[in-house]
Amino acid sequence: MSTMQASVAVVDDDVFVLKALDRLLQSAGFAVETFTSAQDFLGKCPANTSGCVVTDLSMPGFGGLDLQQALAKALDSRPIVFISGQADVPGTVEAMKAGAADFLTKPIDGDKLVVAVRAALQRFAAAQVRQAEQASVTTRMTTLTAREREVLAGVVAGKLNKQIASALGTAEKTIKVHRARMMRKMAVGSLAELVRAWTLTQPPQA
Amino acid sequence: MDAHSAPASVAASWRLPRWLAPALAVALGYYLAARLGFAFTLQPHPISTLWPPNALLAAALLLAPTHAWWWLLAAALPAHLAAELQSGVPTAMVLGWYFSNCSEALIGAGLVRALVPGPLRLDTLRSAGIFLASAVLAAPLLSSFIDAGLVRLIGWGESGYWDLVRTRLFSNVLAELTIVPLIVAWAAFLTSPPREVPRARYAEVAALFGGLLLVCVLVFDLPQRGSSVSPVLYYAPLPFLVWTAVRFGVTGTASALWLMTVSTIWGAVHGLGPFVGEEPRAIALEMQLFLIAAAVTVLLLAVSYEERLRMERESLEQRKQLTHLSRVAVLGALSGGIAHELNQPLTAILSNAQAAQHFIANKTAEPALLSEILQDIIVADKRAGDVINGLRALFKRGEVLLESVDLNPLVREVVTFVQGDFTTRGIQLQLRLAERLPEVRGDRIQLQQLLLNLMMNAAEAMKACAPEERILTVQTLATAGRVHVNVVDRGPGFKVPPETLFQAFYTTKTQGLGLGLSISKSIVTAHGGRLGATTRRGGGAAFLVTLPALARRV
Repeated sequence: MSTMQASVAVVDDDVFVLKALDRLLQSAGFAVETFTSAQDFLGKCPANTSGCVVTDLSMPGFGGLDLQQALAKALDSRPIVFISGQADVPGTVEAMKAGAADFLTKPIDGDKLVVAVRAALQRFAAAQVRQAEQASVTTRMTTLTAREREVLAGVVAGKLNKQIASALGTAEKTIKVHRARMMRKMAVGSLAELVRAWTLTQPPQA
Repeated sequence: MDAHSAPASVAASWRLPRWLAPALAVALGYYLAARLGFAFTLQPHPISTLWPPNALLAAALLLAPTHAWWWLLAAALPAHLAAELQSGVPTAMVLGWYFSNCSEALIGAGLVRALVPGPLRLDTLRSAGIFLASAVLAAPLLSSFIDAGLVRLIGWGESGYWDLVRTRLFSNVLAELTIVPLIVAWAAFLTSPPREVPRARYAEVAALFGGLLLVCVLVFDLPQRGSSVSPVLYYAPLPFLVWTAVRFGVTGTASALWLMTVSTIWGAVHGLGPFVGEEPRAIALEMQLFLIAAAVTVLLLAVSYEERLRMERESLEQRKQLTHLSRVAVLGALSGGIAHELNQPLTAILSNAQAAQHFIANKTAEPALLSEILQDIIVADKRAGDVINGLRALFKRGEVLLESVDLNPLVREVVTFVQGDFTTRGIQLQLRLAERLPEVRGDRIQLQQLLLNLMMNAAEAMKACAPEERILTVQTLATAGRVHVNVVDRGPGFKVPPETLFQAFYTTKTQGLGLGLSISKSIVTAHGGRLGATTRRGGGAAFLVTLPALARRV
């Protein structure tokens, strides 16, 4: 999907399984790093890097769910694909509730794992693009004056300049000036672009 | 028979051939038994020492279903007439004796059948007691009164009523006692013969019966001066009789008793052995009492010995079944974990194979990499195979097989079964295995079951522990002449005395039979070891297995 190799971290306490998954993901074109325990992974991979984590659900001591919690605490939003030797229903539910990207049971079909990892990476990349856009819109909005913000609210609500002017108690001409300055600050060329940028800053509606 | 066959032709047409062979056998047997009875009569004043036909008839009835009895009794009539009419006895007396003979067989067999349903098997003290009271005592006693009454009524001979009763009684008692067990036991033996008989057993039988015959001939069948014979000699065959009772059951004992009875009476009839003298009546009585006393004692000994052996066999078999069932139950509880243990190598195999496919499709498959992948597939496949083989052995209901066992690999093997289950429960397993452990002598499967039970128990005990506290330690170590396996958990321990833990059906679990520890204890005991339990000071229980070590081979 990109010229750069996407990286995948694999965590499993079984060395043979770990080696096999390493080869499988490498053969599918991923850059793979392997870890035999969750602690090992957390110790060596602190940065909020891009990529995906594939982890065994049940490992002695620190399990997959603990790993998920630790990443969440560190505000690391990398997608996690769980693999498990048993159809452990409570474990699955907990993992999915906490935002697991996917859940596969052993013996794993390698192709399914590759598909799951790819999908998780794509979703993650899309989310990251969206986040970046959102951040830039939010920054631009902070440069607006109070009056410009009122005009923005009126424009995205679909009101005419005349209506906004009467609502704010000023002349339509003045509103036109504010509106042009607001559009320039928001770096948008059309009403449609403005509405799209503004929507990004709004909390998603349930 | 002809009179009955006309109206009930359909029933008779199939019933008759079916009972023809037994009926003919009874007729022939009865005739020969009567000839033997005549041969065993002391002369010159005829005193019957042993009268076998009645006993033979009783034995035949006991082996046959009740509805066939009348055919067998009818079959005895021609044989009776053929044997008795040769001796010039009046026909009325001959028929009278047929009646009293049949009455003895019927009373004996009827009482036994009423109290012990089905064919008589002298395999419990109860059935032997019923047999002695009914067929050996009550039947001859009652029929002797009938017999003596008939003799007096018809006026045959000059003996008094009570003399007749006494003579008939003892010869019939002796016959019932020696002949019925012989026939009944041999019939049972021949209908279900033992499958494999070691050659040594044939040799033992030959030695036993050869020795017994020799002793009987020496004691009872050689010319002796009657008055000076020490009664101690009578006991010479006793060791052989006890030998048969202990080693060859009722069948062997009845055969040995018959051999002794025949040789004793043969000697007496021919004026040989200790039972000779001026007064034949007293001599006959003395001999009969001697033989009756010996037969009752030895027969009861054989029956009680056989009964005890059978009970031991049964309880052993039950224990074996129970052990197997509990093993299967434990494995059932572990199935999830075992599936995990199989899924690991399967995942490795599948992922390796698919990776190889991708490498080949991408044209990046280097031979060295592919051969490495194949090697890993082989290793993983063997690992899965080992799990399955180990499981199959545990599921099998095998015989106990004693061999030299190194407990360290055994512990590791059991770990593969519980590992998956323990991981799900968040239990950390610590193995502290001694570097060099002497072997023990034992059954591999049972020892695995023992470890499985103890480890599952320990895991169960730590259910309520904090995750970091769930540590299970298995330790092996050797001390002088002993090998120890300790299974230690960090659960709450136990509050009852350790002995209570090992009782069957004691359990603290909501689901569980409470058999695990009791079976574990019996496994350890059967291996000549000890199973102990202690509560540790810091909390947790420790189960300590101590087994005798095999001497190291030099």
